[in-house]
Amino acid sequence: MSLRLDVKNWFVRTVPLVVIIGVWQLLSGAKIVDPAFLPAPSAVFAAFADLLSGGEITLNLLITLFRSAVGLVLGAVSGAWIGLMMARSEIFRAYVAPIVGGTYSLPKSALIPLFALWFGIGNVTAICAVYLACLLPMIVNTYHGVITTPKVLTWSAEALGTGKRQMLTRIYLRHALPDIFTGLRISLGFSFVLAISAEMIASTSGIGKLMFMYGENGTYDYMFGALACIIVVAFLADRAMVAISAWFLRWHESAARTEAA
Amino acid sequence: MNRPKIEVRRLSKSYVTDRGAVLALRDTDLTIAEGEFVSIVGPSGCGKSTLLYIVGGFLPADGDVLVDGQVVAGPGTDRGVVFQEYALFPWLTVRDNIAYGLEQQGMVAVERTPIVERLIALIGLKGFENRYPRELSGGMKQRVAIARTLACDPAILLLDEPLGALDAQTREIMQDELLRIWLNTRKTVLMVTHDVTEAVYLSNRICVMSARPGQIVEEFTVELDRSKSREDIFLSEAFNKVRNEVWLCVRRQAMAEEPR
Repeated sequence: MSLRLDVKNWFVRTVPLVVIIGVWQLLSGAKIVDPAFLPAPSAVFAAFADLLSGGEITLNLLITLFRSAVGLVLGAVSGAWIGLMMARSEIFRAYVAPIVGGTYSLPKSALIPLFALWFGIGNVTAICAVYLACLLPMIVNTYHGVITTPKVLTWSAEALGTGKRQMLTRIYLRHALPDIFTGLRISLGFSFVLAISAEMIASTSGIGKLMFMYGENGTYDYMFGALACIIVVAFLADRAMVAISAWFLRWHESAARTEAA
Repeated sequence: MNRPKIEVRRLSKSYVTDRGAVLALRDTDLTIAEGEFVSIVGPSGCGKSTLLYIVGGFLPADGDVLVDGQVVAGPGTDRGVVFQEYALFPWLTVRDNIAYGLEQQGMVAVERTPIVERLIALIGLKGFENRYPRELSGGMKQRVAIARTLACDPAILLLDEPLGALDAQTREIMQDELLRIWLNTRKTVLMVTHDVTEAVYLSNRICVMSARPGQIVEEFTVELDRSKSREDIFLSEAFNKVRNEVWLCVRRQAMAEEPR
């Protein structure tokens, strides 16, 4: 029963991860799958270490990060604005809602080849793909956060002399903040996915391109090594996002629950 | 005669629901003098809160609402509101919630601080200034909501079942606080409540509303010596006489509505 008791222990919780890596190592060692195609974790780790010692990975990682960050910031700002406007203006909603509804479930990666035709190989294509992928979760979440603002809050604010424009920033966006952070966290994940996908399809640089290249060359240990790099970076970015949102939402009911999923 | 502080003339309000239009208020009239504490009681769903929201300027309606002889066109800082659900801004601390209205008026921090500090002392929440609403009990939240409204020094207080969500003990304490605040400030108060005893204890005048469509069907004047203690008032004959009359009147209205 100690397994259940220790569930909060950070060390204990990494056990499943270690088991998976162990099984992977065994499978690879037993040659059930051709080790050329499934390199052992030890080989991946060696490649990972080798990648870290060279400058190539750092440069490509920075390029990928730049593309996801620019797309994420642009998508977040415009998505929050569109979501707010949709919730507050009936006319705006009437025109924009069909577009949002129609594109929401569209896999944005399907548009990458098209973007490549329009914007060429490189930054613009990748940023556009990231932007579009981040835009929709931001719109939908911000809209929800604004539309659920209780009447008594807006009435109180009005009776306390809040002007029309200030209602947007001081009441509606503040109320939507927990949902905006939910949208941001989803968008952060999408931003890496789309940046790397775009790089695999239409780029001469970035982690995606690097992974694609290693795959083409058959150096799968290096491909997994590059993948490991992006996993580490994405994980750290997500943790940072959780920490930032916890600070901004310290007033919210969720702040009472210490642990984020 | 003095001009009334609040005048409601032939006010009607209908809501559109999925099952058609519902008439919430029909040709309601109400006149409140400056410094009066008027309570509206009536069966649930009779439109008493709706009437208060219209006076607050939150809902449009047919008919006129005049405050100081001016037609009400929307919410204003002359009418402070306290809702049953507290309606504090959850993202602001106790201090910032109370300071909110003053900040909106453009008052600088140096001028705000003494007003806010005085109100925090008045509601007995010293030491809780930096707490967020989620960290407060129901009674504390409602104290902050009242202080937030008082900060702007509105001439009129609109109270929408302000103590309805509190437990019986906290409720009594808060009633005494409301009474004290009213006696000290002599603001014009319009309160909606479903608690007849509370209405009699606090108000000068009680208006009983009929079931939907709501209309004020009867008025009771309450004359009590408010300098006496709660015990003395509750045990007095005058108090119980009015309380019983109002209670019977509300009950008749509620029974008239039930199709059973």
